[in-house]
Amino acid sequence: MSDEINIQELPIEELFELMQEDLYDGLADEVLEEVNEALARGLQPFEVLTQGLVAGMDIVGKDFRDGTLFVPEVLMAASSMKSGMTVLRPLLIETGAPKMGTAVIGTVKGDIHDIGQNLVSMMWEGAGFEVTNIGINNSVEDYMAAIEAHNPEILGLSALLTTTMPYMKTVIDALNEAGIRERLTVLVGGAPLSDAFAEEIGADAYCRDAAVAVDTAKKFMQIRNEAA
Amino acid sequence: MVRERRHSRRGRPSPTRQVEAITQPLHQIPVYELLDASALDKIHQVSMEILSEVGILFMDDPESLAILREHGVRVEGELAFFTPTQIEHYVTMAPSEFTQLARNPARSLVIGGKHMCFAPVYGPPFVADRERGRRLGTLQDFRDFVKLAYLSPYIHHSGGVIVEPTDLPTPTRHLDMLYSHIKYSDKPFMGSVMSAGNAADSVKMVEIMFGSEAIRQQPALISLINISSPRRLDDRMLSALKVYARARQAVIITPFILSGAMGPAAIAGTLAQQNAEALAGIAFAQMIEPGTPVVYGSFQTNVDLQSGSPVFGSPESQLALYVSAQLARRYHLPFRSGGMFASAKIPDVQAGYESIMTMLPAVLARVNFVLHAAGWLDGGLTAGFEKFVLDCEVLGAFHTLLRGIDMSENGFAMESIRSVPPGGHHLGTPHTLRNFRTAFYRSELFDYQPSEAWEADGAHDAYERAHERLQQLLASYEAPPLDPALDTELQAFVSRRKAEISG
Repeated sequence: MSDEINIQELPIEELFELMQEDLYDGLADEVLEEVNEALARGLQPFEVLTQGLVAGMDIVGKDFRDGTLFVPEVLMAASSMKSGMTVLRPLLIETGAPKMGTAVIGTVKGDIHDIGQNLVSMMWEGAGFEVTNIGINNSVEDYMAAIEAHNPEILGLSALLTTTMPYMKTVIDALNEAGIRERLTVLVGGAPLSDAFAEEIGADAYCRDAAVAVDTAKKFMQIRNEAA
Repeated sequence: MVRERRHSRRGRPSPTRQVEAITQPLHQIPVYELLDASALDKIHQVSMEILSEVGILFMDDPESLAILREHGVRVEGELAFFTPTQIEHYVTMAPSEFTQLARNPARSLVIGGKHMCFAPVYGPPFVADRERGRRLGTLQDFRDFVKLAYLSPYIHHSGGVIVEPTDLPTPTRHLDMLYSHIKYSDKPFMGSVMSAGNAADSVKMVEIMFGSEAIRQQPALISLINISSPRRLDDRMLSALKVYARARQAVIITPFILSGAMGPAAIAGTLAQQNAEALAGIAFAQMIEPGTPVVYGSFQTNVDLQSGSPVFGSPESQLALYVSAQLARRYHLPFRSGGMFASAKIPDVQAGYESIMTMLPAVLARVNFVLHAAGWLDGGLTAGFEKFVLDCEVLGAFHTLLRGIDMSENGFAMESIRSVPPGGHHLGTPHTLRNFRTAFYRSELFDYQPSEAWEADGAHDAYERAHERLQQLLASYEAPPLDPALDTELQAFVSRRKAEISG
């Protein structure tokens, strides 16, 4: 085996494999180079997304859950994914490729703790979702405006404080009143939450961490796609 | 498009701590001084009063009494009375620190000064694990503990009688224990103190390993000479002490005091008695062989005066531990105490609380040689396998505590602070990416998962997790290489001595 590789000479399977490895190791520039190489060979953007980047992030997610990877490593992988997406996203839209899903996420009114939801955003993006992170301290009106603007399938509500948790129910009640609750999958997250709380306030699911948030969002997208 | 081929981190083994990776810890934090100088001096003065007026018994050993007399000590019957001048004269001869040789030179240990070292439990007749419960210890159990101690990067010493191998004949089992320490570990170990003969066998085995001259320069054995408190050294301990001192092997002189029974029902008085006993033993060792490495030892707690049982982790024993360490420092001697003591029978909540109640003071007081640092259960009657594995996790945390705070540029991480906006996070900054694996101590056995994930994994408690780890550790064990010629010579010695002893 030589000590050098020329990615232009790699068979396509090996190129994807390399893309996944470089994503795993958080090498943004290399991932970008490999995405460009795959596109130059005439591969469909959707193929590059699913067989290269998303497949790579699946491994990252799995190793994170198994305790092999640490949070900073997952972040690096997700940000490499993001750099590949800067090239892929416009092409995906152009080619009318199927979407992995669209999500809006934000912390509820009174809550400024957004580190957790920022991780979820990164991980969702890593899984190929289009994510709009509307930041902290969001009122019902803020959520409504974001839903109007981005038409997401998934709405993520985040809270760290027990005192702001009830506002999640206020948001869901407002969705019901506006008659748009049924077309959204509402996922809630935050340290003091539980499955029981999610059920009680009428959310679709509680996600205990960023890895679970990815799995749950994918699962609901699959259900939606099968129903469609 | 041409670049160097690199190896992905993917598929690398998960980062477990290697035996080689961690060395003997240095105490780099302030030492906790419980008493001020005048209070400490008061304890010293009272102990001098005990030594000169009340006396220490040297029991059933005329030779020891003769040695004492030759060195000017007043002896009445078997009671020896030391003057403060005599004590000071002889105690000053002992080195303030020394190195104990290991057959792997990288594992030799400095005993004393700012150095700490952790050794396994010593002496239990029983062992216990989650699957088989409590039972009498065997040679197999002994070897398994030697392997566990070898595998833990946080145990620096192989110890002595980690568990009593009760399946072997008493007169020769010391040979099997010593050989097991040498064969299954390359860390330093302790000599047998059951008799002068056992001590001589121990010395002979390290002479085979290191050569008789080398071990006179630096000891290859450290052995536990207990004082049978109150105020009594017996012939068994005295005869072992004489053998070791003459061979310039290190001894730990440890008064064994359960206050209320073997010492007064008072802490200051217990400390004065302990100090008198330890100094008498240390002075005696220096009379035999000036410069013999000795360690000032303390094994002190109290009895429960309601039931008569020993209590471990008592607040009074913590107070006494801090002061004992101060006393040892006052005489410029290495200090032995502490351990993960518990009365609990299994590694449950009680065991955890009790153990940390003594171990934290041992760390803050700067105990140089921490015997019983892993595996102790049941008031010392049982060596617990899972307890051993769990204790090692906590010892790992103490290694980090002992290092104190990194005040370097990397320790301040200003680049990270500058780069993160208000309310942002440091999880992905270049500084975090450079440091995340080593920034914080991570127990491999304690559970940090979200509740739901813990339940999904089977809701295992620490005892169960430790049991699983125990199986993995023993399955993964590989013996450190031992020179075949040396091995043969040691085995020949053991066989010959067994034949001689069994007659």
